[in-house]
This record gives sequence, structure tokens and C-alpha cells, in this order.
Amino acid sequence: MLYIKCPYCGMRSQNEFAYGGDANVKRPELNEEVSDKIWDEFVYLRKSPRGKHIELWHHISGCRQWFKVQRDTTTHEIFRTAAINEDIK
Amino acid sequence: MTSISPLSNVVEKGLKGNHENKKEENLIKISEIKNLLIIQIVQYKSSTISIEDISIDNLNLKNEPLTVASNSNTRILWNGPKNWLLVSTKKNLIKNISEIFNENDFAITDLSHSRAIIELEGSEAIEVIKKGCPFNFNTLEKNNSINSTYNGITFTVDMISDNPCKIRLFALRSFGESLYHSITDASLEFGFKSS
Repeated sequence: MLYIKCPYCGMRSQNEFAYGGDANVKRPELNEEVSDKIWDEFVYLRKSPRGKHIELWHHISGCRQWFKVQRDTTTHEIFRTAAINEDIK
Repeated sequence: MTSISPLSNVVEKGLKGNHENKKEENLIKISEIKNLLIIQIVQYKSSTISIEDISIDNLNLKNEPLTVASNSNTRILWNGPKNWLLVSTKKNLIKNISEIFNENDFAITDLSHSRAIIELEGSEAIEVIKKGCPFNFNTLEKNNSINSTYNGITFTVDMISDNPCKIRLFALRSFGESLYHSITDASLEFGFKSS
């Protein structure tokens, strides 16, 4: 079981969280012409990196906030967590 | 209109579990709490007003994790950033709340009929909660509250007192019966008095 540090509540069990996908995905700009290829990439295509990865998690059984987690996809080690409006470098 | 309590179909009063050869005061006491006012208070992200100036029943909202502001009638639980759960025996407090909180800055929702509340009292009460909840309860003190899961059921724990241990559990009304069964099953080995 993973322990994840929620930026608001502190260290909690993975049971309380829901995985929300890749945090690096950027939505195409609003009110601009978007090709089918760009839209297809935004909706469907995801990288599956080996190593450090920045993800979205939702503290669904806690404070119900979305936040970012930097996790190693091979070891599951969690390096950092940050509020949704903060950057992880 | 009379309201039907969320746990009325499952609560059986009496001594249960491993209660023989034990004094009644040493048993865990499990009871359903009814007729409380439960209000969710959410401050909009766009709101810029200071919550320090706001007082309900002489209690201030605190935007600090785990904290509960309380007096003998009312408890205000921190539920998340800019999100609180007010629990009170004063039913008429709803009128004050509607007047105090500007609808452009706050969302006020009456949850009084959509939560089941179970109260546990006794020295082993915390052991019962530990059985199904992954939170480290050694860090939880009096007047703290957390949101977590109990055997997969999302619930809120409000530590009213630590000596003697008295804990209030809130779950969605529709999960109340399942939570009650989970709690009473976990209490069997200690023996409990249901009321």
C-alpha cells in the first residue's frame, strides 16, 4: 500500500485517493481552431514513462481536492506532492 | 412531519458480543445520534472575504486541517480547504447561518437528513475504528476530525473527547446501515452496549 502526502491533510493511505492520470497533459487553447490530430492526441494518447512521472490524484475520501504527485512508476516511490496550482520541477 | 432515523431498521438495543463477566461501564457504548443540525459551509474560490470575522454560535471558522471549533452545543469540523461541516443541537441556528453567510461568497447546504451518525464511547472505541480505517489514530487528539474510509465506506471521524474516548462517526445516510454493521462486528470481541 502506498502512503501519499496530501498537501492539505497530510500523510494518508492510498485507500483514500483516486488516481487521476497524467498531470502533464495540456488542453488545447479555447476558441482556437484545433485539428483532429491534436484533439485525438489530447483525448487519447498518453506516454507511459519508466521512472519519474507527474500525476494527478484526488483525495476523494478526504478533503476532496485534486493535487499533483511526482512518483516513480517502477519503484512507486513518491518524491513530492503539490497543490494543483503549484509546479513540480 | 416525523422523520425516520437512518439506522432505525438496524439498531437493536442491548448488550452484545463478549460482554459476559464484564462490568457494563467497561463496555463500548454504541448509539445512533439523531436530530442534529448538519450544515455544509463552502467558501467559493473566488471569494475574498476573511473568515476570521465570521462567528456562528460564538465559534469562528478555522481553515486548518483536522481542527474542530466547539462549544457545548455546536461543533464546526474542518472538511477541506474552505469547507466546513457544522453540527449542532440548536436546530434554529440555520436562520442565523443564512443571515451570516452571503450567498455570493458561500454555499450553504443543509445535510441534516442525509447523514447517519454513530457515537462510540469507551476505552476500546479507538481500537474498533483502527480495525477498518487506515488512518494513524495515535496522532488524533481531542477536538480533531478527519475524513477517511472504514472498510471502504467514506466517513468522517470527530474526536469529541479522549478521556473517556468518545467518537462520532458521520457517513452518508445510504451507507449508514453498512457502517453500523461494520462497527458492531468490529466491536463484538470487546463487548458493547447498543442504545
